[in-house]
Amino acid sequence: MIDPLDSLRAPVMPIEPDPRFATQLRARLEHAVLQPEGVAMTTTVDAPAHTIGCYIAVDDARRALEFYVEAFDARRRGEPYIMADGRIGHAELAVGDSVLMLADEFPEIDMLSPRTRGGPSQSLYLRVPDVDATVQRAVDAGARLERAVADYDYGRNGIVVDPSGHRWMVASSLPPPPSRRHGEVGYLTYAVPDAERAKAFYDAVLGWRFTPGRVENGWQIDGTAPMSGMWGGATEPRIQPLFHVDDLDAALAAVRAHGGRAGEPEQQPYGLSAECTDDQGARFWLLQS
Amino acid sequence: MSEQRRVRPDPALALLEIYNAALPQVYGYLLSRCRNAALAQDLAAETFLAAVGAARRDPGPVSIGWLIGVARHKLADHWRRQEREQRNLRLVHAEQYEADDPWDATLDAVLARQVLDRLGAHHRAALTLRYLDGLPVPEVAGHLDRTVHATEALLVRARAAFRASYEEGVS
Repeated sequence: MIDPLDSLRAPVMPIEPDPRFATQLRARLEHAVLQPEGVAMTTTVDAPAHTIGCYIAVDDARRALEFYVEAFDARRRGEPYIMADGRIGHAELAVGDSVLMLADEFPEIDMLSPRTRGGPSQSLYLRVPDVDATVQRAVDAGARLERAVADYDYGRNGIVVDPSGHRWMVASSLPPPPSRRHGEVGYLTYAVPDAERAKAFYDAVLGWRFTPGRVENGWQIDGTAPMSGMWGGATEPRIQPLFHVDDLDAALAAVRAHGGRAGEPEQQPYGLSAECTDDQGARFWLLQS
Repeated sequence: MSEQRRVRPDPALALLEIYNAALPQVYGYLLSRCRNAALAQDLAAETFLAAVGAARRDPGPVSIGWLIGVARHKLADHWRRQEREQRNLRLVHAEQYEADDPWDATLDAVLARQVLDRLGAHHRAALTLRYLDGLPVPEVAGHLDRTVHATEALLVRARAAFRASYEEGVS
């Protein structure tokens, strides 16, 4: 079949950018490539100290820092401490609400990485909102999948061994999902212009507590039924429900047939969902899980 | 073992060597697809800075073609972010298109690019990767983080949206 859009094919044609931009970017690139620890765009993040923290030995601290940033959304915390011999003597990452400290191997004090020792002697336990996505990112970034993600009585979790040989149990920070009957409310999203204000308000009025969610400016509300979350960045405040359906395609067809608008189905880690608008303009999600 | 790793030449150094030749190619690729100079600069910067880490993680040949691939990821990421924002921030007013009618037309290139600029980010991303870059559907799906099946459905809708907007522009 002839497709007129085939004529849009556009091979790469070089275009000289603004020379000032080219010069500035070269300087940034040189900085990123040449600084000895190889840490690009260091950011400092405050995270409170907990009673117990992890301080791990790795066989390549530079690679390990990059892995944790990429796989676990870790944020660099200060500059790594570089020893005279080039080893990283100390580096910190903020992961969720915790601090992970690490250093290169120091055989002289018997601090060796699991790879050198022949395997880990402990598991690190990581709680995240979206286990499947985090485990997938870890594997994409070079971790070995030791146990695939699955549901257990104590929650959804999986196990990966990172490139330094450390074993991570990645578990859901969310309670296991309740039963999902057609038409039941599965989730409520409080979409508000200012998440911080709304969190303060509902904390004061209802005593709600919040955990960072899977999207920017998104928060899980701890312990509510149905499960609920808050999202800051809406132009108008609204509460948007998610309804369980047995058959998403059939439900979307019904939405359209009755004057509503149905969005495109999208595969999410928790099921197949689509955003819809009813015939008076109220927005909701449908989920087939 | 970490001693060996340290003495190996840093693969990211190759980026500095090809920077002068690569920047116009990367920038040209991005500008011709997003058609916004400030955005093309931002994405070009993201491309090169991300390439530092990528070259170290996965030491393969650092070439212009490889950098264009990194740029394509950055462009797809940008459109995905934009689509999420659009979806989050306003009512969904995408019309629904059900069928992929055969369409026999010769496109006016200038009008076609204007139409592309007007489309929603997810439609624009799908059509750009499929047609301007000439990627096969499974690769488009990979960039957009969708299944092949969902990508085919998206392309049907994107083509229909493109056609509706294009024919409106012609008449």
